[in-house]
Amino acid sequence: MAQAIQHVALKVGLEIHVELATRSKVFAPAPSPAHAAAGDPEPNTLIDPVVLGLPGALPVINRRAIDLSILVGLALNCSIAPFTKWDRKSYTYPDLPKAYQISQYDLPLCFDGSVELPRRPAPGHDAPPPPLRVGIIRAHLEEDAGKLLHERPGGGALDHSIADFNRAGTALLEIVTAPDFADAEDVVAFAQWLRNICVFLGVTEGVMQKGHIRFEPNINCILTLAGGRTAATPVVEVKNLNSFKSLRGAIEHELAEQPRRFLEDGLVMGPGAKTTRGWDDSAGRTFLQREKEDAHDYRYFPDPDLPPVVVDAAWVERLRAALPELPHARAERYRRDYGLGEKEAAALTEDRALNDFYEACTDAVAAALPGASGGALAREQAGRLAANAVLQSGFKRANERQVPVPHLGISPAQVGAIAAMREAGEISAAAMDELFGLCCTPEHAGADPRALARGRSMVQVRDEGALLAWVDQAIANQPRSADDVRAGKTAALGRLVGEVMKLSGGKADGAAVRAALMRQLGVGG
Amino acid sequence: MASLADMSAFDLAGVIARGEASAEDAVRASLGRIAAGDGAVRAFIETFPDRALDAARAVDARRARGEAAGPLAGVPVAVKDNLCLEWGRTTCASRMLEHYRSPYTATAVRRLIDAGAVVVGKTNLDEFAMGSSTERSAFFATRNPRDPGRVPGGSSGGSAAAVAAGMTPAALGSDTGGSVRQPASMCGVVGFKPTYGRVSRYGLVAFASSLDQVGPLTRDVRDAAVVTAAMAGRDPCDATSADAPAAGWAERLDEPPAGLRLGVPREVRSPQNHPAVNFAFERAVMKFRDAGAEIVEIDLPHLRHGIAAYYIVALAEASSNLGRYDGIRYGRRAELRPGEGLAELYARSRAEGFGPEVRRRILLGTHVLSSGYYDAYYLTALKVRRLIKGDFDRALGPRSADGRAGGCHAVLMPTTPGPAWKFGEKSADPLAMYLEDVYTVTANLAGIPAISVPMGEAEEEGSRLPLGLQILGPAFEDLRVLRIARMWEHLRG
Repeated sequence: MAQAIQHVALKVGLEIHVELATRSKVFAPAPSPAHAAAGDPEPNTLIDPVVLGLPGALPVINRRAIDLSILVGLALNCSIAPFTKWDRKSYTYPDLPKAYQISQYDLPLCFDGSVELPRRPAPGHDAPPPPLRVGIIRAHLEEDAGKLLHERPGGGALDHSIADFNRAGTALLEIVTAPDFADAEDVVAFAQWLRNICVFLGVTEGVMQKGHIRFEPNINCILTLAGGRTAATPVVEVKNLNSFKSLRGAIEHELAEQPRRFLEDGLVMGPGAKTTRGWDDSAGRTFLQREKEDAHDYRYFPDPDLPPVVVDAAWVERLRAALPELPHARAERYRRDYGLGEKEAAALTEDRALNDFYEACTDAVAAALPGASGGALAREQAGRLAANAVLQSGFKRANERQVPVPHLGISPAQVGAIAAMREAGEISAAAMDELFGLCCTPEHAGADPRALARGRSMVQVRDEGALLAWVDQAIANQPRSADDVRAGKTAALGRLVGEVMKLSGGKADGAAVRAALMRQLGVGG
Repeated sequence: MASLADMSAFDLAGVIARGEASAEDAVRASLGRIAAGDGAVRAFIETFPDRALDAARAVDARRARGEAAGPLAGVPVAVKDNLCLEWGRTTCASRMLEHYRSPYTATAVRRLIDAGAVVVGKTNLDEFAMGSSTERSAFFATRNPRDPGRVPGGSSGGSAAAVAAGMTPAALGSDTGGSVRQPASMCGVVGFKPTYGRVSRYGLVAFASSLDQVGPLTRDVRDAAVVTAAMAGRDPCDATSADAPAAGWAERLDEPPAGLRLGVPREVRSPQNHPAVNFAFERAVMKFRDAGAEIVEIDLPHLRHGIAAYYIVALAEASSNLGRYDGIRYGRRAELRPGEGLAELYARSRAEGFGPEVRRRILLGTHVLSSGYYDAYYLTALKVRRLIKGDFDRALGPRSADGRAGGCHAVLMPTTPGPAWKFGEKSADPLAMYLEDVYTVTANLAGIPAISVPMGEAEEEGSRLPLGLQILGPAFEDLRVLRIARMWEHLRG
């Protein structure tokens, strides 16, 4: 049937599975692989009678998993169910020990939420588009399944499959959005935002490579046909995407494929039409896994081994009080109160541990600034100085040593002291960075940066006579740069500043050097 | 002194604690009875003579060192083979678990061992506790010690027969719809199903999770109290277990229940019962009345729907609980032929591992949970379950304004409509077998405590077949039920 398609509108709803970083599993005492303490365990070592579904074993809810789920629910502006229960979802597969998954069917822990994401202006536009509004249908707690491997660990063919139950029983929060997305870009932006929120809340390690967060988009297209008639293509659910790249790829692939499939088979959305597809990362395409997904009978019924959970207002309020200021709110505050740029603010809020470190540094700088009164101005100054220290000196060493900034060894108090010395003009920018580096070494753990600076003659010379001598010498050494500056090419000033710093052995104050150079060259500041 | 093997658990523990006999002697006496009698009765699937003697000697050594011996010190006990033990096999009398070894011990058994009890063996049952005669064991049938031509009842038939034959003073069973009380009734011993949640289910291989409860089979009511008290209490491994203390039950057992008011449901005085059941039951009611109890007729209008509701709820849960036996991680795994895959592995492992009654129940349970049937069957059964619970709440709750209804301390019923039947008599008709559970399933549906105590006998073809009186009380009033049962023991004479 040849039908001309005049317009294709994409419609996507997203399911997100978040592995919660509880110490033990959601219904069993065995350690959870999603917790940092689990490390990189050998197969089938994080197991016990409950995880393996041995005869007579019984599940018992891990209340920490409920706490973490509620924290996410609150961050997504969900209602928290005052009464919730556990249901058995029956299906048979070798990675599912009990032949049912304990999940939540009709009374999810969190429901009816919504979030708004600010959107960046399109290139060439000043005004940002209206924020992206995403409805959250529900977020419920369930247990993860184990893993089947079809080749040897580390590669090599097998004529059978092997099962690893380490992941079985890991606490899994499934978040389901309304089909509110109209393009892949928005889906990915939301997915990244959500991952950041969850990491920030401390509910998950959020390591994509370890499958801590997995996406399952439900995708279809609204086609406008000749004559204005519309048709909705059958919904495709793409399973188990564990990177933002594959999430984007799967949606874009389906956006291209679904209109083509419609032209071939004419199938439209309806009962029994939904299919489940997988994602082939190397081929960059989806492939059919199962037809009639919505017709499968999971025979849900309430799990008689687990009493229902009553979540009273006090429980929710205790968690609401423990809710940290979320990353987007923090980034906004840094831009507004400290005058940081968007990129800087984003970099400082993409990881909970880094952000905690940055906040502690800001406090330490504010306390160390001369005449610190705790006023808004001092706070603004401190926020900027700490950002410079963390984003420049900190990120540089974190990259070199492949260690996160908070684990470099330098303490916020040391950052505070260094930044205050720099702000008072006692040390140069170069010395500041060098001091930062020294404080990261084990032998200077906890050392007083001021003593370190004095011991290494890093304290800046403020002697006007010495400064002028270096300035004159620098102009003499680099006459062409001096001419450039006189001709208005102020960019050349940097070379002269560098020359002075070299002559002074880094002890001159950069701002004073700059001013003196401009004075000597007769150009306005 | 009576033979150690004929003593009650309570008396035996006392004798051992006082040093008048050793735990080793007590266990030897039990093992001797098993060796002499179990060839005919076939109560045991497996016995642990060496291990049991070692454990007994350890109890004696502890006593010799002056350590506390425990309320069940040196008492030999038998354990139904659907309770996990970290030694021997835990088979559930099924080919599926014929060689299965559990890595852990059920909480109920662990607590008995901690109280000094010595496990001598695992007893026979209907496969996965699904049956009322122990004929459904995949291995062999157990004989009723009172008449070897008849069934011992079930599903805890092996435990009931072991106690009735004097092999152990106490045995553990599990009761999902009467599986402790019914065989106790048929073998002439005491069987107690505690309140749901009183005893941990951790390590009891699940049949129907919302109905299963571990309970003792003993020769007298005091032993039922002692064994239950040793097992009872909250278990962090079972979220449905209750924090309800059971200490001091044995000491308080003989306190007479004051102003006793007992309810007799109209519905149980039925012409469907064996005449001997009706005769013995009326005599029991009369004896309570003569002893000063107030007897009131009550209505349990939903009792007649109990069987239907029970079989829907129990089989729905069973179909889900037995899904794990897939041949992948443990249990029977079928040999595959070339070209066969996962579907055949599942289908053939389960077909080879499960007997026909288990398969029937899985099919029925799967059906009632299926989309399109769930509301009509499962949800309706849950409603009936609530109505039955309401019936008991009215009878056992506060007395009505006119003083006539409610306010009963307990409800009396026969345990079964008739005595033990002959082997094969009901095997061809599963429904007839299901109907035998009519008086026992309601206590499980309502979650309340119920005990069966010997009430009389029926004479059939020259055999004197035991009958049971059932006493049911409100949830967590287990001690009250035991006291009334103890009172009955004295009245019966």
